[in-house]
Amino acid sequence: MTLAISAWSAISPFGYGRDAFADGVNGRTDTSAPVGPEWSVPDERACMVPDFDVRERLGNKGTRAMNRISALAVCTAGQLIADTEPDSREETGFVLGTTIGSAQSMMDFTRASLEAEKPFHVEPAKVPSCVMNCAAGQVAIWHQLRGPNATVAAGRATGLMALNYARRLLLTGRARQVMCGAAEEYSHARSWLDHHRRDEQDRAILGEGCAMLLLGTESSVRRPLATLRAVRSRVCLDDDPASTVLATVRRLLVEHDVDPAEVWAACGDELTALRTVFGDEVVDRVPDMELIGDTSCASALFQLTALLSVSATAPRSAGRFAVLSAVADDGAVACALIRLGEHDVR
Amino acid sequence: MAGLSTDPGRRVVVTGCGAISSIGIGVSEFSAALRAGRSNVRPMTQFSTEGFAHGNGCEVADFAPARWIRRTDLDELGRATQFSTAAARLAVEDAGMDQTALEDGRCLISIGTTDGESHDLDRLVAQEIAGGPTAMEPALAKRVAASRLSTAIARELGLGDVETATIATACSAGNYAIGNGFDAIRLGDADFALCGGADAVCRKTFTLFYRLRSIAADCCRPFDKNRTGILTGEGAGVLMLESLDSALARGARIYSEILGYGLSCDAHHPVAPHQPGLTRCMDLALRNAGVKPSEVDLISAHGTGTKANDQIETAAIRDLYGANLPRIVSMKSMLGHSMGAASSLAAIGCAMAITEGFIPPTINHIETDPECAIDCVPNESVPADLRIVQNNGWAFGGNNAVVILGRYDETRTAS
Repeated sequence: MTLAISAWSAISPFGYGRDAFADGVNGRTDTSAPVGPEWSVPDERACMVPDFDVRERLGNKGTRAMNRISALAVCTAGQLIADTEPDSREETGFVLGTTIGSAQSMMDFTRASLEAEKPFHVEPAKVPSCVMNCAAGQVAIWHQLRGPNATVAAGRATGLMALNYARRLLLTGRARQVMCGAAEEYSHARSWLDHHRRDEQDRAILGEGCAMLLLGTESSVRRPLATLRAVRSRVCLDDDPASTVLATVRRLLVEHDVDPAEVWAACGDELTALRTVFGDEVVDRVPDMELIGDTSCASALFQLTALLSVSATAPRSAGRFAVLSAVADDGAVACALIRLGEHDVR
Repeated sequence: MAGLSTDPGRRVVVTGCGAISSIGIGVSEFSAALRAGRSNVRPMTQFSTEGFAHGNGCEVADFAPARWIRRTDLDELGRATQFSTAAARLAVEDAGMDQTALEDGRCLISIGTTDGESHDLDRLVAQEIAGGPTAMEPALAKRVAASRLSTAIARELGLGDVETATIATACSAGNYAIGNGFDAIRLGDADFALCGGADAVCRKTFTLFYRLRSIAADCCRPFDKNRTGILTGEGAGVLMLESLDSALARGARIYSEILGYGLSCDAHHPVAPHQPGLTRCMDLALRNAGVKPSEVDLISAHGTGTKANDQIETAAIRDLYGANLPRIVSMKSMLGHSMGAASSLAAIGCAMAITEGFIPPTINHIETDPECAIDCVPNESVPADLRIVQNNGWAFGGNNAVVILGRYDETRTAS
């Protein structure tokens, strides 16, 4: 039994919803723009979601203390639900990838404690946004999703680990369908953490947003956009992630009896390794999502939605395979084997 | 959700436990402390509690990570990751699994957490206040990602064929991680799993609970009429889970079997527990395990010692169990609230209770709250023959997770 992707949505620097995202991907639009001085960050440029204002998007009720990452997830989930309408909210699981929740919310809270006259003079309304599962909890409340609700963290490999976690929820019957996404926000705190975390030559333009997919078991989804055959993970122990990706991809193909020639597209991290197996044409089919900046924990799912955006207009992709790779800087590697849907039913 | 209990699959057993806690390190010391009803409450030392009216906590005193973390530079690991990594080493050693078997198998490493390395984030904030954002220490910024709680274990143990996923579902995250390992083994995704939870005390979380008026002034007294809240604690609990076949093949000692688990989401309030969600979660867990409430011998409660939790949890249990309640204990009375580690340390406590035949007490108990009219095994452990134990975990975000453990019974067939 495998997993079927029946729908997806996104909020990204390309804009709102599936069409805006697909247009950005297919037009290979560069979304980076100068960062205003109000952010007081070391970045010159960043890729931000255009005009994202929490209250403008969600209204005033229940949003007074909602942080950006939660709002991105709540709005993306709203778009996905509007497109699909899940059957039972009690049996709908929600899995969200994160890096550490909102670094900004957590650090603001500590700052308030350290700077206040009394260390406990902090706003109780800010408490919910200071835990890493804040966004997933808000999505559940906002959309009344009462099934399993989980938050998963695995660096840039988060999206594929989250898909595998969602797969287990579905295969064990813990959920009838799962909305699976990953969200990252741009902030002063994230920018500075990233600045200090990386050496100068490794710094990237930061991006933000949320990608989300609706998943069911293959038998429950009539017209899947794609099916997830497998996710294979490893931890790279020798600081040679390209070799780890290469080994993982080869193993995935062998285990699932897929010839590299059947693979229509390959994308993600460590492209050199993918080129070795699949050649340039296959690897260049889907644009690299650095178009929307380094979206960290959301990068793998954005790469997946980019793949689905490109294959949707490519009749020859029908029924063929795609491979996604993701490499976290702590050495976690994940690769996914995906079978693209039949074109005539999309 | 129908059909759960008919799910075929491999049986999953606990063959190793690694505990780092305020009352003991290593499973023998931990289990002995639970049986003795020990606690180690003292003023917090990891951060300043100046300006707060009270600042007691349950820290892991004199933690010397180099004893268990041998291959990794300790400066690269935050305190929570040191806990998770040391606990994983302890679990592997306790399971008696040799390096070849570890490296040959396919593994899942899943660590639950509330705060990850928020202790380091707190320090980065202090540095920013003192010297501006350029003064933040790169070494700290490098170790704050929550994923590292899991990947550091793979690196330290030299495991390459491994899936690593940190589960950041706050205070029930340890149970989530155990559930993840259970499913991964049942589905054949992994041969064994190192699962559990880890957290280190931090100013952010202490302040947060203090502001919610949920920190006890002196000690944690769950289900007591005069309970005043939690004490923040820390540590890690990591369990070695493996398929029964694998455990039998290598002649491993089996502490207990994981019979099943359940997850639900309140979808009601970001920080307050909601009774229907808790009841539904327990119900799902029991169904998944193929167990009736009347068959449960002990409930290890979430039992934080706050007014709200203990009353709502008691009501939720009563809702499902009716009038015949099993004994219900809170290990947080001894451990404090170790956040993401809490439900995994409690799961280890459950496994030891089953193995060694005792019920850990709820200490600091003077007068039972009439609204929590249960037998919480006050103050002293009792000998007991336990067959099935339920381990509750609730969290901010309405993230509920309950794990059902059972005594390994070779005649039982997989549910």
